[in-house]
Amino acid sequence: MLRLFFFELFKLFRLRSVRLGLLFAFLLPFLWALAPGLKEVYGLVLASGWQVVALSLLAGMEFLFPFLVMMAASESIGGEVAQGTLKSLLLRPLPRTLLLLAKLQALLLYPFVLLGASFLGGMLAGLPHGLGPFFGGTGLGEGGFAGTGLLTPAMALKELLKAHLLAGAVLLPLASLALLYGTLFLSTTAGALAAVATLLLMRLLVAFPALTPFLLTTYLDLHLRPEAASLGLSLLLIYTLGFALLAALVFERQDL
Amino acid sequence: MEALRLEGIGKRYGRKPILEGVSLAVRPGEVYALAGPNGSGKTTLIRLVTGLAFPSQGRALILGEDVHKTPAARRHLGVVVEAPAAFYPYLTGRENLRLSAYLTGVKEEARVSEVLARLKLLAVADQKVEGYSLGQRQRLGLAAAILHRPKVLVLDEPTSGLDPEGVDLVHGLLRELAREGVAVLLSTHHLQEVSRYAHKVGILGGGRLLDEVALGGREVYRLEAHPLEGALALLKTLPQVASARLQGGAILFEGDQEAALKALVREGYRVRALFPQGFDLMAYYQERVKHA
Repeated sequence: MLRLFFFELFKLFRLRSVRLGLLFAFLLPFLWALAPGLKEVYGLVLASGWQVVALSLLAGMEFLFPFLVMMAASESIGGEVAQGTLKSLLLRPLPRTLLLLAKLQALLLYPFVLLGASFLGGMLAGLPHGLGPFFGGTGLGEGGFAGTGLLTPAMALKELLKAHLLAGAVLLPLASLALLYGTLFLSTTAGALAAVATLLLMRLLVAFPALTPFLLTTYLDLHLRPEAASLGLSLLLIYTLGFALLAALVFERQDL
Repeated sequence: MEALRLEGIGKRYGRKPILEGVSLAVRPGEVYALAGPNGSGKTTLIRLVTGLAFPSQGRALILGEDVHKTPAARRHLGVVVEAPAAFYPYLTGRENLRLSAYLTGVKEEARVSEVLARLKLLAVADQKVEGYSLGQRQRLGLAAAILHRPKVLVLDEPTSGLDPEGVDLVHGLLRELAREGVAVLLSTHHLQEVSRYAHKVGILGGGRLLDEVALGGREVYRLEAHPLEGALALLKTLPQVASARLQGGAILFEGDQEAALKALVREGYRVRALFPQGFDLMAYYQERVKHA
């Protein structure tokens, strides 16, 4: 099983969408560090390199990172279908669920690698602004980017790590959802688009207040609201497992 | 026990039947060729046999185990379902086979080299598959299929895309594997080639198994006699003659040639020639499909 997981991980990082995604996640902070309109859009004048890291996370989590994760999850099945290698895999004497589980495990690691690339890019892009203590905030803690006074590097790092981990958790059910659609449609594009459409549809359900606390889309900004983590993380986990279970059920009887 | 057994297997998409109630069996060491026009259901049948698709009715057994209920049944199965066979293009041929070996539980590294050599791929074994020709990919597919010494081999158009040398190599290999006791089920359009070593041919048409022809020991005679129609009518009345039909300016019949000759001479027919001719599978197939 472990070898199967490593093989799936190897294949995942060979995917074009994953390679491009990691490149974008790494390079985006450099773009943000040089962006001339930060003050107009975010009311921010960069005071520290830590703010570049946070800014990259906030910007990426709006659409890019969720989309990249869904694209990768969908391509992990759709790409193999297009290449013809999924059939070869399924012809082996292994349960289909086991193969899907190995794919899912690799996919659940990907959001953290993606956010790690963004974090690393942010640190490097932020170097010219310094990574020492500064008066202000990371944008992820109390007081937003204005902060509440002096922020030490340790405090900034802690805030950023926590936010990145929460953001990673937010992306897990999205990977699982796109994998479900990937198994259903056996196509990268159809799978990714269906996952995006599902999220858009879920957003519309805010018109039903009773449902709002249980919607996946309610927690897509969990990295900005760590106080909601206890309920949010539980729900994200339930969504991840639920989508994965459905994917396994679909995949188990899918004709190829 | 049959190595492969299909019991009334069928597949329908919505209300449209693609394949209906196909039953057949392949014994160890037997080569079973599936023939049929495009759209007759050959590929669907192969997908059902290998567990890639699920039947709407019936079941497929490999050495007694239901392939759709027991994934482990596929440990006995070697398969080539794509033409050309699909591999990870960024891995070398050898690496792809190592992966197959791992997934099928083959532990001997030497086995990888052995099958590469058997399929004459050693020279390109360490090149990435993306640089392989169509024929090389197809041969690598066969190498992957036999890597774990399967007891049942299922091949969809195994010679598709191969040059004449490659075709000979594949047919030679299949003949050899059958001699070693492997049951082979293959779909093909090249009836003349497989009729040289296949034991049975299943003719599919319109999603049904129209006929099964056992080729082993089937002797056909060619008779040139005058008047031809009368001779044909006479042969059809003889209990020693299993079948008789016109082909060109002669009669092809199966049965006892001595009894046929005696009857013809007795009735005053002029016999110009009578000699054995290999069973004309192609002509039989064309006639069977035409009347389906």
